Amino acid sequence: MTATNVNGTATERPPVFSVDGLWKVFGPKAGRVPADPELTALTPAELRSRTGCTAAVRDVSFDVRKGEVFVVMGLSGSGKSTLVRCLTRLIEPTAGSIAIDGEDVRAMDKSRLRELRRHRAAMVFQHFGLLPHRTVLDNVAYGLEVQGVGRAERRERAAAVVAKVGLEGLEHRRPGQLSGGQRQRVGLARALAVDPEVLLFDEPFSALDPLIRRDMQEEVVRLHREEGRTMVFITHDLQEALKLGDRIALMRDGRVVQLGTPEEIVGSPADDYVRAFVRDVPREQVLTVRTAMRPAADADEAGTGPAVRPEATVSEAIEAVARAGSAARVMDGGRCLGVVDAGDLLGVVAGTAVPEERPEGAAVLPGEAELPKEAV
Amino acid sequence: MRLRTTSALAGAAALTLLTGCGAADMTQQASPFANAQGARTVTLSVQSWVGAQANVAVAQYLLEHELGYRVDTVQVDEVPAWDALSQGRVDAILEDWGHPEQEQRYVQDKKTIAPGGDLGVTGHIGWFVPTYFAKQHPDVTDWKNLDKYADLLRTAESGDKGQLMDGSPSYVTNDKALVENLDLDYKVVFAGSEAAQITQIQQFAKEKKPFLTYWYTPQWLFEKVPMTEVKLPPYEEGCDADPAKVDCAYPVTPLQKYLNADFAKNGGEAARFLKNFEWTTEDQNQVSLMIAEQKMRPEEAAKKWVDSHESVWKKWLP
Amino acid sequence: MATVTAPAPKAAPGVLTRPAARKLLALAVAAAILVPFAVTQWGGATWPSALTVDVSEPLGRASDWIIDNRDSHPLFLYFFGHVSNVVVLAVRAVYLALLAVGWAGVTAIGALVAWRVAGVRLALGTAVAFLACGLLGMWVPTMQTLALMVVAVLASVVVGALLGLAAGLSDRMDRVLRPVLDTMQVLPAFAYLLPVVLVFGIGVPAAVLATVVYAAPPMARLTALGLRGADKEVLEAVESLGTTARQRLLTARIPLARKELLLGLNQTIMMALSMAVIASVIGAGGLGDRVYQALASVDVGAALAAGIPIVLLAVVLDRVTGAAGEERPGESRRSPLTWLYALAAAAAVAVAGRLAGVLEWPDGWELNIAEPVNRAVDWMTAHLYSGVPVVGGTADWAAHFTDWVLNPLRDGLQWLPWWSVLLIVAALAWLIGTWRTALTAVLAMAAIGVLGVWNPSLDTLSQVLAAVAVTLVIGFATGVAAARSDRVERALRPVLDVFQTMPQFVYLIPVVALFGVGRAPAVAAAVVYALPAVVRITAQGLRQVDPAAMESARSLGATSGQQLRQVQLPLARPALLLAVNQGVVLVLAVVIIGGLVGGGALGYQVVFGLAQGDLATGLVAGAAIVCLGLMLDRVTQPTVRRPRKGA
Repeated sequence: MTATNVNGTATERPPVFSVDGLWKVFGPKAGRVPADPELTALTPAELRSRTGCTAAVRDVSFDVRKGEVFVVMGLSGSGKSTLVRCLTRLIEPTAGSIAIDGEDVRAMDKSRLRELRRHRAAMVFQHFGLLPHRTVLDNVAYGLEVQGVGRAERRERAAAVVAKVGLEGLEHRRPGQLSGGQRQRVGLARALAVDPEVLLFDEPFSALDPLIRRDMQEEVVRLHREEGRTMVFITHDLQEALKLGDRIALMRDGRVVQLGTPEEIVGSPADDYVRAFVRDVPREQVLTVRTAMRPAADADEAGTGPAVRPEATVSEAIEAVARAGSAARVMDGGRCLGVVDAGDLLGVVAGTAVPEERPEGAAVLPGEAELPKEAV
Repeated sequence: MRLRTTSALAGAAALTLLTGCGAADMTQQASPFANAQGARTVTLSVQSWVGAQANVAVAQYLLEHELGYRVDTVQVDEVPAWDALSQGRVDAILEDWGHPEQEQRYVQDKKTIAPGGDLGVTGHIGWFVPTYFAKQHPDVTDWKNLDKYADLLRTAESGDKGQLMDGSPSYVTNDKALVENLDLDYKVVFAGSEAAQITQIQQFAKEKKPFLTYWYTPQWLFEKVPMTEVKLPPYEEGCDADPAKVDCAYPVTPLQKYLNADFAKNGGEAARFLKNFEWTTEDQNQVSLMIAEQKMRPEEAAKKWVDSHESVWKKWLP
Repeated sequence: MATVTAPAPKAAPGVLTRPAARKLLALAVAAAILVPFAVTQWGGATWPSALTVDVSEPLGRASDWIIDNRDSHPLFLYFFGHVSNVVVLAVRAVYLALLAVGWAGVTAIGALVAWRVAGVRLALGTAVAFLACGLLGMWVPTMQTLALMVVAVLASVVVGALLGLAAGLSDRMDRVLRPVLDTMQVLPAFAYLLPVVLVFGIGVPAAVLATVVYAAPPMARLTALGLRGADKEVLEAVESLGTTARQRLLTARIPLARKELLLGLNQTIMMALSMAVIASVIGAGGLGDRVYQALASVDVGAALAAGIPIVLLAVVLDRVTGAAGEERPGESRRSPLTWLYALAAAAAVAVAGRLAGVLEWPDGWELNIAEPVNRAVDWMTAHLYSGVPVVGGTADWAAHFTDWVLNPLRDGLQWLPWWSVLLIVAALAWLIGTWRTALTAVLAMAAIGVLGVWNPSLDTLSQVLAAVAVTLVIGFATGVAAARSDRVERALRPVLDVFQTMPQFVYLIPVVALFGVGRAPAVAAAVVYALPAVVRITAQGLRQVDPAAMESARSLGATSGQQLRQVQLPLARPALLLAVNQGVVLVLAVVIIGGLVGGGALGYQVVFGLAQGDLATGLVAGAAIVCLGLMLDRVTQPTVRRPRKGA
């Protein structure tokens, strides 16, 4: 697939976060677990009964690249929240390395770490984590206050961010007087106010009603489109992950079981667990025609029919094919990459057309060429 | 944060300023309520019995109205009052029933307390039965016959023995040893406070029930509940030297006044007035009765007495 | 109740679940090994004298040494002396300031503060309370008590908050402090008086320090609780923004703990007030002293005249600080400007008062309530004391209660061999808690024996048990009535308020007048004191029973009696157990008051120690009361109620 990589810049973009062999073990004498191959081989239950320890994050490696939305997805207890907290050492990792822009996070002293938290990575929390005794404006300005920004300036900057997240007019309310969605907008604004390099989201919308959740997701999409800020997004909701993520790391029992674009996750699940996970996903909305196409049979096929972009989803292609009544050409620039006809597309929807098999386990490896989905 | 450090520093500085850096002798401290608003203040110790309140009420009235002092009163039990007196937390005790150990320590050794002379009242402690009971059974007034009446004097508290009621734990008493050494079929029941004891005596008297109680004179209650003393083996000098072996009656005590040594020297008119303060048992009883029986306020009672006894108190004024 | 009054744990067959049986078995084995040894070594019913340690002599020597060296030893000159001086200066400064502001000024300031903090109604209440203090002729004593309170509360809050900060921020400090604070909570106030008197002598410094020791623990506990209970995610969010530890503390943890901090302030004030009154025994002066003096002349009316300002102060302070703790939504942050206006207005009143020369309460404006009150009390005692047809007078009741309940209970306890008492205590504590509680309880009981006050302690214990039993019977009955009828509850509320805040001294005389001298009135005083809390907790517990459960019971056609027995009482079990525990603690707190009305035993010994300056006797008896308190608390407190988690 590297050959078909259309967005060559993605791989070269420098990683913002680079995580390698990260472990977080809770329990007595946790430090011995990652170092001992015999212990690392145990299942979580065995590990607990042998040592009394729980490994929340086990040997996780990935890079988060500048400008992408990196989603960590997993069910509750899979270690995803612990993982994101390890990034800024809100939870101290047990072993492994974390680098931000090449700088070793685990080696940072207190003040350097504070610097990181103040300016480079800001977090949005599931239950908002707002200070109930402060107004909306003061909550948003809190990060700046912590940095020592003067009162007038921080209020001015906070007011601008409050407006950006659509909370004008509520500046002087207390969190207790806001709805859940509004509160999370405050949480988002507080993180944005410090203008961080990376935004970390810890299941930010799972406490919200479905409709409000969708609004907030749109809000994140919009922000990302406007600012192109790097985001690490934790969620247990597959739909959300597919909707927001450029790449998704799927976690189970502390391990990353698959890392790839939404299309790869849905199209070629790495194991049965992932397969079961993505079974009910409407594949036509996630997979692109690139996975469904076949080479044009002849010049005629390559020269006629409606044109679709290679990154168009299968459902878009279905619409085009149905309207035209013939196979569609996958066109990149002026070049025809291949064609999809009704049969190919139906195969995707039915799940019978297995896109090009990948070597076992390849998808789990980080750093391999992936296709970052362009901002949706 | 800077604020906190500064305020802590300021606090420490203020503390140092307040206390001075040197030694602080807490035995030389006046009451914080003394000498407020420029008034000269005298702090008097009031013991918990009414006779003592009568002394203080009259002294207070005269100090305030004749000499222009402000008077604070504090109720302290007898023995701790000596300590408070030596520390200057009170300026004077007007009625002391004899505490040789304290006198030795504070007056002779440490010289922080100065004797203030006789109060003029003579105190006596003894065992008493109500007069109505003594009239019915005249022989009860001899201790040798007490056992005969033990049955009559039984209460729920004393069980199968007769009850000898004692009062406040602050009072001088040898009763437990006396009952033991005279081999009496009685049990000492402590009322725990004089208030409780008086209330109980009045209840008994209302029903004309017999009772045997530790009591003392002068006491206003005699006017209300006439009582007759039970004769104990006569008091001889030194027979009460060993508290465990006492087998004789209580002595007759001329009540004393004591002043804080500093106050005695520098207390001016107030100190001289308190040294001169001397009246009779009848005087004291009159005031006590007004306070305790007619429930007059101490200052009203004092005023009434002062208005009618000018010749007595004129002599006290310096 | 069964667990308290019936000494044998086997009396309750339902309790014998399997772990309980195991515990009893373990205990029986231990007993089978230890008891024969103990009996052959030290037989007899009472605590063996070979196992006692005589502490009175060293204590007496220590006391003498302190008195002799108080004016010369460096420890006193350079430490305690300064402490004492600071206290005196601070109290004096506050007192002079209050006098300088004058009665009109103090009333105005009090009312305005109450208005800003708690609204118009409480402002009016505050003003009325202050004026009532003046009307009763108690203005100056009220100011003295207030001055002492202000200093003691400030010191308690500072000390308590610092301890609370330490326990809230450090787990190790928390582990060290928590059991200490828990224990201090159950100790009777009187227990704190003797040690401070030993060091500082009679007077205001000792009173203030005893008050601080008594009132600081709730502040410390609640501060720690507030700091630990803060929303974890908020703290994490704050940390994720790169705050320093100090920023976290000042901008998040402390503001988040606001509610607990204000509750702590409220409790500290209430405890300081009750202690300020009790401390009149050691020369605190003020209102408590007036109560105490009035008692000497058996003048209930005068005692009440001094007691009412205490009750008023307590109610006002409680309501105002309580209101401060409640967020009032809809109201914007109280702006500093209105505070400024309020202060300016108060200052204006004070200055006006000064200029008009009305600093001291005018002489004529006084109300004499003593006389009517005394007449009422006299009438009551005269008609109830004896000779009431059919039911008999209160004196007869007291005699019967002594003969039929107190005497058998005391004699029974004293008849039991000492080791069997320890065994019973161990069994009860273990059944209701863990082996740790059992160990604490047994050690506390053994300490009593070692101190050589075994017999008086059992005497006191018998009174406490009887009082608790009576309290619980009356308290549960009243509580059930209050829970079932709003009218009863409304009628009870002010009564309970008054009894809870009324200084304990005030009801000494009516109690003696009704029940005579002895242990019966001591029990009566304890019942009166402990009853309000028991009634409150019971009623609250019953009312808070899940309405869904009640509804389902009703829908099944249960009668109201069935609802009570089968739903409300079982569901309110934790509250009822708490009521038992509180009942025990409160009853024990007035053991010393019992000593003042002829209760004898430990209470009398403490009173004796204070009165005679015989600190050895007093301290030993005080320590024994503390041990009894510990033991009873452990025996009545199910461990589940102790919040073990940091929550």
